[in-house]
Amino acid sequence: MKSFQEIIMTLQEFWSREGCAVVQPYDLEKGAGTFNPATFFGALTTVPIRAAYVEPSRRPADGRYGDNPNRLGKYFQFQVILKPAPAGITDLYQKSLKALGLNLKEHDLRWIEDDWESPTLGASGVGWEVWLDGMEVTQFTYFQQMGSMALSPISVEITYGLERLAMFLQKKDNVYDLDYGGGLRYGDLHKAQERQFSRYNFETADTALLSRHFNEWEAEGERLVGLGDPLPAYDCVVRISHLFNTLEARGAISVTERAHYIGRVRTLARKVMQLYIAKAQPEAHHV
Amino acid sequence: MSKNAPAKTADFLLDVHTEPLPARFVAPALEQLKANAASLLAGRVAHGEISTYGTLRHLVLFIAGVAAKGEDKTERFKGPKEAAWKTPDGAFTPAAEGFARKYGVSAADLKPEGGVLYAEVFSKGEPAAALLRGFVPELLKSLQFPKFMTWEETGFKFGRPIRAITALHGDKVIGVELAGVKSGRAVYGHPTYSNKPLTLKDPAKHRKLLRDNLVIAGPADRHAYLIKQLEAAAKSAGGFADLDEDLIAETVDMTEHPSAVVVHLKDKHLLLPADLLKLVMKKQLKFFPVLDAKGGLLPAFIGVRDGRSEGNILVAEGYHRVLEARFNDAAFFYDRDCKVTLAGRLPSLERVTYQKQLGSMKDKAERVLKIAQHLLTENLSTDGEIVLSAVEYAYADLVTEVVKEFPELQGTMGAIYASQMPGSMKFAGAIKEFYFPVSAKASLPTTPGAALASLAGKLDSLAGCFAAGLIPTGSADPYALRRQALGAVRILIEVEGLAVDLEAALSFALEQQPEGTTRDEKVRAQLADFVWGRATSYFEERGFAVDEIRAVRAGALRDLPAALRRLEAVKNARRDPSFEALAAAFKRASNILKQSKGLEREVAGDRARLVDKAELALYDAVQDAEAQVAARVKDGDYAGALGGLVSIKPHLDGFFEHVMVMVDDEPLKLQRLALLARLVNAFKRVADLSEIQTPAA
Repeated sequence: MKSFQEIIMTLQEFWSREGCAVVQPYDLEKGAGTFNPATFFGALTTVPIRAAYVEPSRRPADGRYGDNPNRLGKYFQFQVILKPAPAGITDLYQKSLKALGLNLKEHDLRWIEDDWESPTLGASGVGWEVWLDGMEVTQFTYFQQMGSMALSPISVEITYGLERLAMFLQKKDNVYDLDYGGGLRYGDLHKAQERQFSRYNFETADTALLSRHFNEWEAEGERLVGLGDPLPAYDCVVRISHLFNTLEARGAISVTERAHYIGRVRTLARKVMQLYIAKAQPEAHHV
Repeated sequence: MSKNAPAKTADFLLDVHTEPLPARFVAPALEQLKANAASLLAGRVAHGEISTYGTLRHLVLFIAGVAAKGEDKTERFKGPKEAAWKTPDGAFTPAAEGFARKYGVSAADLKPEGGVLYAEVFSKGEPAAALLRGFVPELLKSLQFPKFMTWEETGFKFGRPIRAITALHGDKVIGVELAGVKSGRAVYGHPTYSNKPLTLKDPAKHRKLLRDNLVIAGPADRHAYLIKQLEAAAKSAGGFADLDEDLIAETVDMTEHPSAVVVHLKDKHLLLPADLLKLVMKKQLKFFPVLDAKGGLLPAFIGVRDGRSEGNILVAEGYHRVLEARFNDAAFFYDRDCKVTLAGRLPSLERVTYQKQLGSMKDKAERVLKIAQHLLTENLSTDGEIVLSAVEYAYADLVTEVVKEFPELQGTMGAIYASQMPGSMKFAGAIKEFYFPVSAKASLPTTPGAALASLAGKLDSLAGCFAAGLIPTGSADPYALRRQALGAVRILIEVEGLAVDLEAALSFALEQQPEGTTRDEKVRAQLADFVWGRATSYFEERGFAVDEIRAVRAGALRDLPAALRRLEAVKNARRDPSFEALAAAFKRASNILKQSKGLEREVAGDRARLVDKAELALYDAVQDAEAQVAARVKDGDYAGALGGLVSIKPHLDGFFEHVMVMVDDEPLKLQRLALLARLVNAFKRVADLSEIQTPAA
């Protein structure tokens, strides 16, 4: 049976053989692997890309103090981005499951309609959640729009939920009982984190500091857009997006303020996207 | 069939193999495939029956006996005027020559008709292969999906990526290329069974080929197979499967080879409310609950897997694990909810926005309470405490964790949490039914108290949204106002023991809307028209004709149950052979009155001022009818009231035969108009008969 780290290594090796650059996680807190610049900028232009990476994803509101066997405030995604989307990609995905040691004939593999939309990024995609014997283990998306622009060529994004997949493969009911590898259980590495970060996100985070930082990083992002450097400006988008998530988990944002905050993240994200396209690839206007 | 259709025919098969289509796309796509194929081929090539079948990965069109050659045809094209055909010296003009050349005929062959020249172009039917090569892309481009996507460089739009196209006419491949895919004779079976291409030689063997490779391609076959599986599985678990129609329909188009897998649960899992458990099973996991004979949950469920394996042991283990995880999640939310009473949640409603202009949920609850009080003034026999308590707590569950997670449990969870408060037994049921009916055919509130509470909520939503300018247009109806209006209509007609003047209630509800919204006469009329529109569809659904419904419009919303009886009376009277002629006479009377622009209202009818024998007779008959209609209407006997028409008929006929209304003698004219007005008005409390459509005279 594969340990958590062996699952990661298997997927890296599999997708490496399929021509992907195996890149490293991007060193900022973020809610999903889609925020990694390899995907965010990768999907925007006409330049082909094939990349795979592990990305820690932080969802402050999903933390459960380490008490819930299925929910985590921070977990790991294995993300693959392929552009243009290869024909037969769903077969290729099935092959990756076989590489993990699954005999698919013995399992119920289902593709359930699940389109993706990020109003913050003006982005949307069409795709599925993949269910293995009822458990959602992967999110599969063909990007259609980014920054409210129709994309061409189309990228396909495959996001494996690593803990879910490991629980499935190791037949564990509790995420903290997963065999991580190196003689450790998942809980040895992450339980204290979950406990302390749940306390931080729900109870002790300094909301005045967080909202000040939100304002400051937003202003910094605007300044950087003005200077014409989309990459550091994008870091500001990622930062304020996470600050917003933390403020929301902390209960510091009212319903009306919420829409306002989201609008601010979106505005900055759009400016960064437009700048990136204008700078990096003027021909992108033809898409 | 054209007379030159060749005897040689062959079956045509098109199988569009896609990545998994959403279940909801499949049936509509198959319907269009059939209808669009028929219309695209009409007149182009002779063929036999068109049928379709398919799954989430195969959209299949089968056309029996397609002729080897398309139909010959002659087309006519309109050209210049005949006068510009020839020059005076008899030569063809350049215009005529040019026109003829354009269509490949000689100017001498142009045909004059009605002063215009026509070119007639004969074309021989194309070979079927060429015709079908054009037909396939045309057909696939014609399909409409609820949502389209693009995935490859040609930018072709479809529901999901196309991975293969099988197109055969007889044993010949029809070669097409679409969305980067070249057609061929390869067919693909169930993806976890075998993904090697299979070879198809004969269109008629396609279904069997798929079946041998674990794909039940016919939706009806799959449905039957699924039901059999579910029933056998439930029996083995000692109960009955909850055969939820929506879930069955979804499962049929979500699987290519459905196999039922029974999973047993521990009793501790059943401690949560049954409605919550059922929803988690059905909605989140698409599992079928197993019920006992009384509809209670048994500790087992059925998951339907796609595919097949010996015993399905691993699948059952996986299903069990995932259900346990979901139940734990639900238990987490439920336990947290139970720590605060429903009453304790009321203050939080202030922080939930209903709609920007309409305020918070607390504001809404206060308006609904006032509307409920207004409704109670007309329904004194209804237990007011039930209505008002239900309204007070109805929205409190919106701020519970379970309802945030499962919005469709609003009301249901409210009732469960309410019943944890002392003294709530009386009104918990009305909270459960507060949102009833949840769809066009769904069940209604079961008591008058629950019905009034539910009605009050709907009236506020309707009035509020109209006052805020959120009037539904086309398919956009984000606040589900059509459903709520229909719900109000159904409640008033189908729940017994209610007396509500809906027109007045809507006006009252409109008046309760906040400052800054529009509450004028125009909005009031729009609102009434909107609700009447729903009532109209409701009555149509019950078998009444549109003109009959129009005839009872006046006063209908003031008493909807009476409107139903009035309709029945009209429909019944219409069976009488003389009714149409009578309706025509009423229309004639109404038309005359329209011309007079209401002048007759200025005069009091006076028998002594009338002169003709025929009009005197009508006067007396109308006088009798008025009294009779009034008496019958008072008793609610609308059919009896319309019965009076029979005695009017000869007098009305006599009047129109002998009396001229629009005479120069102004006072006499007004008297005659007044008489007609009295006649029309006499029956209006039942129906405006001039609205009845009569065959053109």
